[in-house]
Amino acid sequence: MTPRTVWLSCGVVRAEMEELQRRGLIDGELLFLDSMLHMDPPLLEARLTAALEQNVDQPGCLVLVYGDCSAHMLDLVSRFHVGRVPVINCAQLLLGRERYRQLMREEAFLVLPEWARRWEHIMKNELGLNKEVAHGLMGENRGVLVYLDSGLTPVPEQHLVEFSAYSGLPWRVETVTLDCMLAALLEAQSVACNLL
Amino acid sequence: MNRQVWSGQLLTFMINADRVGAAALVDKALAEGIEPRQVIADILDPAIVQLGRLWEEETMSLAQNFVASKIAEDTLLRCIPENSVSPQTKGAVVIGNIEDDFHSLGRKTVGLFLAAAGWDVHDLGNDVPAEDFLEKALEVGACVIGASAMMQTTALNIRKLRELIDSRGLAQQIKLAVGGAVFNWRPDLVTEVGGDGTARNAVGVDELCMRLQAQVCGEVTP
Repeated sequence: MTPRTVWLSCGVVRAEMEELQRRGLIDGELLFLDSMLHMDPPLLEARLTAALEQNVDQPGCLVLVYGDCSAHMLDLVSRFHVGRVPVINCAQLLLGRERYRQLMREEAFLVLPEWARRWEHIMKNELGLNKEVAHGLMGENRGVLVYLDSGLTPVPEQHLVEFSAYSGLPWRVETVTLDCMLAALLEAQSVACNLL
Repeated sequence: MNRQVWSGQLLTFMINADRVGAAALVDKALAEGIEPRQVIADILDPAIVQLGRLWEEETMSLAQNFVASKIAEDTLLRCIPENSVSPQTKGAVVIGNIEDDFHSLGRKTVGLFLAAAGWDVHDLGNDVPAEDFLEKALEVGACVIGASAMMQTTALNIRKLRELIDSRGLAQQIKLAVGGAVFNWRPDLVTEVGGDGTARNAVGVDELCMRLQAQVCGEVTP
């Protein structure tokens, strides 16, 4: 029997985590941190550390649903003896390694559902990019916006149209199932439980 | 204007994502008669070093650092005229981002610096398997392979390249330079992945390759 699991997850995949739990494919407790913490790496690490300290002594196993999002992510994994999904970022979590690599070779800029609604704040306020600079930077490094549609919320077409106009990149939608994500979660859970 | 002040202003432009301001500053410095290589050494290099410190202190996010680094690359390109590569090559060097790594900006900047310094640069791009690095190095007779990685998880893939070089008995003929932000945060990672050396930023890569080249004894043969 699988021990009780606490999933400490980035809020960027909150809807997907809750859906997997609703379908009975994962169980245990879901904890989320705000995805915007990525804009403040020390604060992200501090919040992650605090959450791990708070939960590490509880019975069962603990899984981090984070990519390699901070300089010391792997240190946190070994320090607290927890599992972590074997991916480099949240987009790879949804897509799986091979499809992620294909899209990156295509120079795709991957847009997750939760992120799509925040694009304007992040690009303009957090990064300070005006349209001209964004056009230049995005155009030199990316070829297309690809929205990863996990099917849990309507595709935010208006946001994508506006982001496309701002970035100068065309956009398209790629449907993703939750199969790759589930496989990564279960693999991490297995590792975490074996650490007990 | 004092070059330290220029450099400080450039850093501010980089952090504030002011691409136009950075370009204007460099153009002004060049127009005032400062030699391009001195613009790189006295204005751009200190700004890049300071940018690296901010990154290491984690006071910038990955996205912010990307934007700032891209502006640094713009600046560099303004200082390296096309066809400025020296006719006498220092030798061949193969560079690329290791398997699973797609953070190309640092690698591209390294390539620019190396080419400007007279190296024959073979840039394999992103997500390069270990076998491809070695195959190209043997093909072009490179004595240095430069493998770049941004994150710890992808940096660990460089171990495959180390193992491949060693298993082919080429450790004395081909040296492995490693680089990328994660190696600045975690210098111990250089040894962990089997690197023969690293540089903190693109400015130091020419010297690193010269040093590694000097360690190489004998010709590289397939």
